[in-house]
Amino acid sequence: MSVRKSATASVRRIATLASTTARPTTERERERRRIVVLCLPFFALAVVAGFVPLAMLVRISLAEDTIWMEGWSLEAWETLATTPAYRRVAWNTLWFVGLATGVSVALGVAVAHALEKYDLPAERIVVAAVSFPIALPGIVVAYLITVLLGRQGLVTNAIAVATGQGAHGLASATAITGLFLGYVYSLLPRATMVLRGTYAEVNEQAEEAARALGASRWETFYHVTLPEIRPGIAAAAILTFRSGLAIFGTVLILQSHQVVTLQIHNEISVGSYAPDVAAAIGLVYVVFIVAFTFVGLRFVDDDAVEV
Amino acid sequence: MSDVTLESLTKTYGDEVAVDGIDLTIRDGEILGVVGPSGCGKTTTLRTIAGFETPTHGRVLFDGVDVTHVPPEERNVGLVFQSYALFDTMTVRENVAFGPKMQGVPKAKRRERADDLLAMLDIAELADRRPTTLSGGQQQRVGLARALAIEPHVLLLDEPMTGLDAELKTRLREEIGDLLADLEVTALYVTHDQEEAMAMCDRIAVLADGTLEQVGPPAEIYRRPANPFVANFVGSSTLLEGVAENGHVDLGFTELPVAAETDGSVRVAARPAAFELGEGSLEADVTDVTYLGDRTRLTATLPDDTTVTLHADGIDGYRVGDSVPLSIDEQRVHLLE
Amino acid sequence: MTGNTSPRADDGSTAAENADAALTTRPDGGSVTASGNRRWSRSGRAFSTLLGRPIVAGVVAVVTAFLTVPVLVAFVSSFAESGSGVLPTGFVTFDHWRKVLGFGEYGVRKNAIPGLTYSLLIATGGMVLNVVIGVPVAYALARYDFYARDWVNTFAILPLVPGLILGIAFVQTYPQHGRSALGLLAGYCLLKSPYMVLTVQSSFQSMDLVRLEESARSLGASWPRTFLTVVVPHAKRGIIAGAIITWTLAAAEFNFTHMVASGSPDPFAMFLYDNIANNALYLQSAAAVSVYFLIVAGAIISLQLLGKRGFSTAHQ
Repeated sequence: MSVRKSATASVRRIATLASTTARPTTERERERRRIVVLCLPFFALAVVAGFVPLAMLVRISLAEDTIWMEGWSLEAWETLATTPAYRRVAWNTLWFVGLATGVSVALGVAVAHALEKYDLPAERIVVAAVSFPIALPGIVVAYLITVLLGRQGLVTNAIAVATGQGAHGLASATAITGLFLGYVYSLLPRATMVLRGTYAEVNEQAEEAARALGASRWETFYHVTLPEIRPGIAAAAILTFRSGLAIFGTVLILQSHQVVTLQIHNEISVGSYAPDVAAAIGLVYVVFIVAFTFVGLRFVDDDAVEV
Repeated sequence: MSDVTLESLTKTYGDEVAVDGIDLTIRDGEILGVVGPSGCGKTTTLRTIAGFETPTHGRVLFDGVDVTHVPPEERNVGLVFQSYALFDTMTVRENVAFGPKMQGVPKAKRRERADDLLAMLDIAELADRRPTTLSGGQQQRVGLARALAIEPHVLLLDEPMTGLDAELKTRLREEIGDLLADLEVTALYVTHDQEEAMAMCDRIAVLADGTLEQVGPPAEIYRRPANPFVANFVGSSTLLEGVAENGHVDLGFTELPVAAETDGSVRVAARPAAFELGEGSLEADVTDVTYLGDRTRLTATLPDDTTVTLHADGIDGYRVGDSVPLSIDEQRVHLLE
Repeated sequence: MTGNTSPRADDGSTAAENADAALTTRPDGGSVTASGNRRWSRSGRAFSTLLGRPIVAGVVAVVTAFLTVPVLVAFVSSFAESGSGVLPTGFVTFDHWRKVLGFGEYGVRKNAIPGLTYSLLIATGGMVLNVVIGVPVAYALARYDFYARDWVNTFAILPLVPGLILGIAFVQTYPQHGRSALGLLAGYCLLKSPYMVLTVQSSFQSMDLVRLEESARSLGASWPRTFLTVVVPHAKRGIIAGAIITWTLAAAEFNFTHMVASGSPDPFAMFLYDNIANNALYLQSAAAVSVYFLIVAGAIISLQLLGKRGFSTAHQ
């Protein structure tokens, strides 16, 4: 009885809310209507292009017949849960992206620090160099790694000439080190971009006060600057890690490490066509990214977020 | 121009009461100052009159017409902000002509009106400039011209001088005060600077914690504060405890010939000027001396340990620890309650 | 007051000098002595003061080289005849560019022009759609405080679904239109919308949005009119910057495109992929990739003219 009563009450409340939003009389209600109007186009796109396809992914992962999307089956999820190879892919992805994130954020701190604090001779070039790669798709990054480390690559051939060995044996673009550099190439600029925003807000007077009180440069950085940029470092790490998980083009070309995106791609390739498994992996992957982001960002200031 | 009436205006945000049952009328053509500490509800009151807040209870009336639910754009209210909020994408003239344009005034006419107002505010030569190239004082004049251009029912000014430096403030205060008086604009002037309110406004309303403490002409507010809060907020006062008896107030250390309506315990507010230094039967010990240039502010302790604030001539050399004779001018004290 | 500001104190000044110095009295009544300086100077300096800066500067130099050298080498080699050896040789030839741009015979069947045109058109469509969708939501997020604002914010500024997954799901969900230009356009728009929302949002955050809107409305402008004639023009720079960023990123989007593209015509990203995946066409790939480099360079220059520091969504 009371359940029904409270249900009626909330239905009535929602109805009131809907009717006042449609025909507002107070400024607060008019404001609510504006918010709805402003968010509606984005919401429509997100539903059509985002949520509906995601729901479809759930359906695919549970389909018995993946061609006609008929029947229900948990087979894909069972495969996913019982095959050790998939756990290895998850582990591969996590440590590889985690390491690339760590290196990128550490280097990003150095670059952001230098850009903010030092009077660099070629500051514009550094800024351009750091922002240029953000626009490059993964396949182009893979190409750039072969330019350095491929069989015809600059570094490969330079070492070959220096040591007298053959270039073929030295090429490391398609080795895991080459892929790692590719990840860093993509991720470092993103990390730097977030950290530059954080650095711009560091309280310089506190740093000067520390220096005046006798702290060395390192002591000042460690005790004053670092605590101030810590939220920025956390935000940079979260966003870089997310971006790292989504890298696909680079690994598709270089192929040297079985990460989750490559696995998903392989599942729907001709020969091993298993769209239900691909959908299941994709869902785990999306849920992980969303959960990781929400949990992670709970601990950092929203202002530090950039893409 | 019109008069504006607030009827038991109340605005709550959740459990928080921003404005609590205010009844207030801004008379046709007057400048009403609203003063009070931050968070007292003065800005909420202003925004409610403008229409950006709908009151939780109570009504807003323009010339007796209920406008409580009329949206801001249909109220014809002029707004001047502390942050100017000029349209940087338009020239000064376009800024001023924006309101008339929204009202559908023909192009030539609104241009004329804008130029007239800019001339009136002494900034005719800035008409083609962008707001971002102007100084703070100039921007504030543009803001005022823009608000006046719609010939508003009421002009609402939200701390318009706060960002300006002291000298400019004094000059602009006089100019704007005269201009508003000439134009017979009905205006609500919100400020935390009571001196500014005293100088510019016909009447002052003192707000605290969302309630109206007192409203009246500046002199009345200053001389006859309604309660201890007003006595202390508008200028500084010393509150003295006493007992009223047969047309006298016994303060313990002295008696004042001030008549109270009823006998019993009372409080007396004394402005610094109520204490006359140099002669009199009272002895006070100076505990603090602050040199202010044209005068010196003394803090002293009366025989019963009451601390009082008083002013001395700037050239008199008082020191901490001095014992000074003083008397109380009964004309300048005010009985509270 | 470090040692190098008082060289005299360091080398041990004589008593006569001290006496001299003591005579230099200053107008404020104080006096300066050299021996006074000695007391304030430090004998040694911290390790980090001496070496910190060179080390960090060195790291920055290496990072800059790592990021720029391959781009420059790729661009330069696109004009070379031979790519073997340490440095490309045989300058200057426009063979690879001619092939890529469709003037002459081409190795991988097609030249870049049809794909590039197709991609740029779709990118433009996605950009326009992004303005229509992104500006309002950015405004709502910057201006109002509402229920579930944080959720909307997170969904709007973070690409929660990676392009690869979205592509797979898209084709299955919309078998009719998923592979069409319309499908690509919707996908690009959703995938790149965070850049538009963030850029415009930070532009909104830098102005006094509430007062601006209230001024206009008190002057008689209805809310839609206020939004279109006052708010949007004030955010013009942010909107243009967001448009440039979303357009450039969509022009060569690969992960989603790879899953969705149908091959008639093939988007530019697929043209790049065909080139890059084929190792034999090393120098021709250099030219193909350089086409996109030029687009990005143009975008970055435009962004810098707008006062942005490259591909950043932050407001300066």
